[in-house]
Amino acid sequence: MSGILDTTLALVFTWVGYKTSMIIYKYTPYSYPNARIKAMEAKLLIEQRFNELAESRTLQNFVVSLEDTPYRDYLADLQSYDVESIERALEKALAGTYELMAKILPKRVNPFFRLLLEEWDVRNITSVVKAKLADEPAMDYVVEIGPMLQKVKAMAEAKSMEEILVILEGTPYEEPYQKLLLGEIDVRAFETELYKMHYGKLLDYALSKKDEERTILEEFVRLRIDKLNILTALRGKAARLSAEEIRPMLIPGGSVKLDPLLHVEDLSMALAELDSTKYGPVIRDVREEVEKDLGVLERVLEEHIIERMNELNRFYPLSVATPLGYVLQKEREVRKLRAIAKLISDGLPPERIKELAGDVA
Amino acid sequence: MDPIVYVSLGAALAAGLAGAASAFGVGVAGAAAAGVVAEDEKNFKNALILEGLPMTQSIYGLITLFLILMVSGILGGGFKFTANTPDNIVKSAILLGAGLTVGLTGLSAIPQGVIASAGIGAVAKNPKTFTQGIIFAAMAETMAIFGLVGALIMIVTGVGF
Repeated sequence: MSGILDTTLALVFTWVGYKTSMIIYKYTPYSYPNARIKAMEAKLLIEQRFNELAESRTLQNFVVSLEDTPYRDYLADLQSYDVESIERALEKALAGTYELMAKILPKRVNPFFRLLLEEWDVRNITSVVKAKLADEPAMDYVVEIGPMLQKVKAMAEAKSMEEILVILEGTPYEEPYQKLLLGEIDVRAFETELYKMHYGKLLDYALSKKDEERTILEEFVRLRIDKLNILTALRGKAARLSAEEIRPMLIPGGSVKLDPLLHVEDLSMALAELDSTKYGPVIRDVREEVEKDLGVLERVLEEHIIERMNELNRFYPLSVATPLGYVLQKEREVRKLRAIAKLISDGLPPERIKELAGDVA
Repeated sequence: MDPIVYVSLGAALAAGLAGAASAFGVGVAGAAAAGVVAEDEKNFKNALILEGLPMTQSIYGLITLFLILMVSGILGGGFKFTANTPDNIVKSAILLGAGLTVGLTGLSAIPQGVIASAGIGAVAKNPKTFTQGIIFAAMAETMAIFGLVGALIMIVTGVGF
């Protein structure tokens, strides 16, 4: 009898111990950050607040109206109430959100948020290079986010294109920039190359994870790639580019095959092709608007990613879906605030500001 | 094994397993509570109530520990099953079973902590979900209550006072 008892006890304890440790390993590290992020979600600005901000009339009022929000700390250092300073403060607030995520999330996923920050480097570098090539003041295009921000600023102040190469030395962006300088690729191909590198890194990271973390991160990255590819393909079609011209601009790793879409004649037919993919239900209601303005498509695709992350968040409340959904919502909020600030400085009436801010992706 | 080993193991596992599980459960919920309070101090009251829910399993463990010690005579008298007779072995094994039942069902404190943690986050986002958060977390409590009831039946009918 003792033998049977001992064996039963050993089996029960091993099984219970294994299951318990799995629960603790999976959920405990997300307990603090996800609860904190949920509390932060409660502070996201609602439509009513955006409408109030749209009625600010002056940038000073706009800043004062944001005093009871998490932007207060970033706006407190403003030297003057001009739109550039406000935009910079809002960008810093967004950068702060990414940094907070990287700080509070478990070590096994926080590098992903550092990788996400690198997308701002890609945006900044391509903006600066494009501005330099167009002989425009590059500093105006720099967004105050990204691990390479200092280098980007140095690039913007560089006196020659060769000087930029020196600044980019030792970074992953050196090689494509060298090709650009040598004339082997044009600026469009350079931009695509940088995005391909970035999304390749994100996808590799997502695929290196296990279980639900992999499911969520992989879906997030593929959705982002799909969004970029769909917009590129449709913009290409709107510009009457051929499939051969558009294909090199697409980023590998998306979840939908866009090849049939590339072979149609115009935007309208391309949208009809898109209707048969999983994005059909997403664009169906706004198809007519999309035909007139592709910015609408950008907005609905962004909303679709947020909604999908929220769905995953409901299914896995203690997972990386919560911070991903939050970061996307914060990005949208900052974009709207920047748009409102810009429209106020342009002197537009509040009703028009509300209308235009509502269209921000 | 001698009867004293079964009885001691039963008492220790009831209080030990349930207590450890409660500690983990409260730990998980406590981390979430700290997270929401870091953002807004107004969340303290709701978070505290939800955080405390996984503690009950440790109370069930403690009750069972006392009962096992009392019926076996370790508490308040001499140990009743000193002799290594089949009757004593069966009775002490029943006490081990009772302790194990409460200890293992007390592990529900860990998932309860996970549920409470998600509930704390949900309440921080929307305070109207507080009652629902309590109900969801309390569902995990049911298993611990079943365990306690089962253990009481085993002790009363199998051993008796």
